[in-house]
Amino acid sequence: MKSPALSASDLRAGYGAADVLRGIAFDLHAGEVIGVVGPNGCGKSTLLRALTGLLPLRSGSVRFGHRDLSEIAPRERARLCAVQPQTEAPVFDFDVRRFVLLGRHALRPLLGWAATADITAVHSALACAHLENLAGRSVRELSAGEWQRALLARALAQETPVLLLDEPVAHLDPGHRHEVHVLLRDLARSQNKAILCVSHDLNLAAEFSDRLMVMQNGTIRALGTPEDVLRDDLLQEVFDCDSLRSGKNPFSGKTGVFFAS
Amino acid sequence: MKTGMRLVLLTAAVLAVICAALCIGPTQLLDLPKLLALLGGSERTPELERAALVLWELRLPRVLLAAAAGVNLALGGLLLQTIFRNPLAEPYLLGLSSGGALGAVAALAAGATATVWPALAGSLAVAAVVLLLCRRRIASDLPSLLLAGVALGALAQAFTTAIILRFDPGAMRSILFWLMGSFARCGWNEVWMLVPAALVGCVLVVLLHRPLDILALGSESAHHLGVRVRALQLGGIALAAILAALTVAACGTLGFIGLMAPHIARRIVGAGHAATAPAAALVGAGLTVVSDLAARSILAGTELPVGVVTGALGCVFFLALLLRKR
Repeated sequence: MKSPALSASDLRAGYGAADVLRGIAFDLHAGEVIGVVGPNGCGKSTLLRALTGLLPLRSGSVRFGHRDLSEIAPRERARLCAVQPQTEAPVFDFDVRRFVLLGRHALRPLLGWAATADITAVHSALACAHLENLAGRSVRELSAGEWQRALLARALAQETPVLLLDEPVAHLDPGHRHEVHVLLRDLARSQNKAILCVSHDLNLAAEFSDRLMVMQNGTIRALGTPEDVLRDDLLQEVFDCDSLRSGKNPFSGKTGVFFAS
Repeated sequence: MKTGMRLVLLTAAVLAVICAALCIGPTQLLDLPKLLALLGGSERTPELERAALVLWELRLPRVLLAAAAGVNLALGGLLLQTIFRNPLAEPYLLGLSSGGALGAVAALAAGATATVWPALAGSLAVAAVVLLLCRRRIASDLPSLLLAGVALGALAQAFTTAIILRFDPGAMRSILFWLMGSFARCGWNEVWMLVPAALVGCVLVVLLHRPLDILALGSESAHHLGVRVRALQLGGIALAAILAALTVAACGTLGFIGLMAPHIARRIVGAGHAATAPAAALVGAGLTVVSDLAARSILAGTELPVGVVTGALGCVFFLALLLRKR
């Protein structure tokens, strides 16, 4: 059987003396989108930091395919897994095209001009993120939503089999939110990418994810299809909100989350 | 205009400034026939002999040293601004120059004549203490690192002042003049020390231009894009400390060059280090040579410390920047 694109087993990680993540274990397969949801501070962003080696593991392991994360050199890791971080505002001026081209670093020699493959990947990433018209603009002049799309384009330009996204649509308008999620699902289907996407939008996550991971207090509370996971009792307990109800989206027929009052 | 053309024009401007600095002084060398005679090696009159002495033994090493010091400080500033993602970072602010000055002054107080190694030790010691204070946090807590540098720099300055007060008045004046930046007593020995360092610094920064570009985006992004963040940060700080220490040992502390040069370079060629590094080096060289020329020309018969001129230049530069922003 083919090994998962990314697997975590019994992860424990944290800051200072406290463990923020405990007993995290899951597999992410090629062609699959997992949406990670949960209340503020439950460890969603910390999970991405632990999966990419940014936060040292206290126990457990992360594997990309057959290889343990600890054995993978930084440049090789960047060829296996791209990350769209949540924060990090630009301090210096780069135009959007040059910024996205930096995503190709691990695929290029240290010196030399960008190759045709690099230029093509950048064009494609800019097109996917609808940034062609802003390619020459300084990243410091972008709006929050445009900056978020530039971060996504940079991650796409890496052309990695695994994509980890930390709230990629937080600052986007509804149209762009929808477009980004459609794009992610298409990338998983057409390019066999394995995608883990942290989101606060339960409905979008449910609509476009194959499986949902519900996190609570640094642990995985539930992992399964949106229909299996989005139950009233679980939602109300995890989000500490009695008004949450699950139900069917009348247009797509998929499970969604609504407020009863 | 293309970036390459801008760099060519900048190089031409800096060469013009260097030529002017070679020619202008109490012994005027602006006379073209005299210059040609000096270069051509034709029959020497006593006047030409004197001019040759001034050019080869005084002006040329002084101008080359000023240029190299400017390059070193500019590269140090560029590295630190990138590593700390702070446009105000520079060797002086982070305490690296003050550490070098303390090392050199302490060595002089102990009777040593060579100040290079003590200055190196002082700068690297400040860098090491700063890094130790913020151990494990280098990738995530850069503002603390900067503040630790400011604090240690102030401490080093206090110790330096305390040591200087122990010298006799004549030596104290001489050391203070050197500390405030001076190329007056420098010769070819200092040139052979600083010029290779400047060249090596330039090559290293240009070689690492892309990892530095990525580091400028933030340490988290740099990690995700495959850069060895910690090694690059530590190596960059060490290189900035070495360049600052060599400069201090040769010609004292020159404020603001490390701040101004990267700013001006980014305005000319943009933020990518492949072009910013050579541009900052050229701007740093030009600014320091001009400052030295001003320091020895403004007051007839006497010479100001170069640090006074660079300080005034820096003040005008940042006020202009502030007013323009408003």
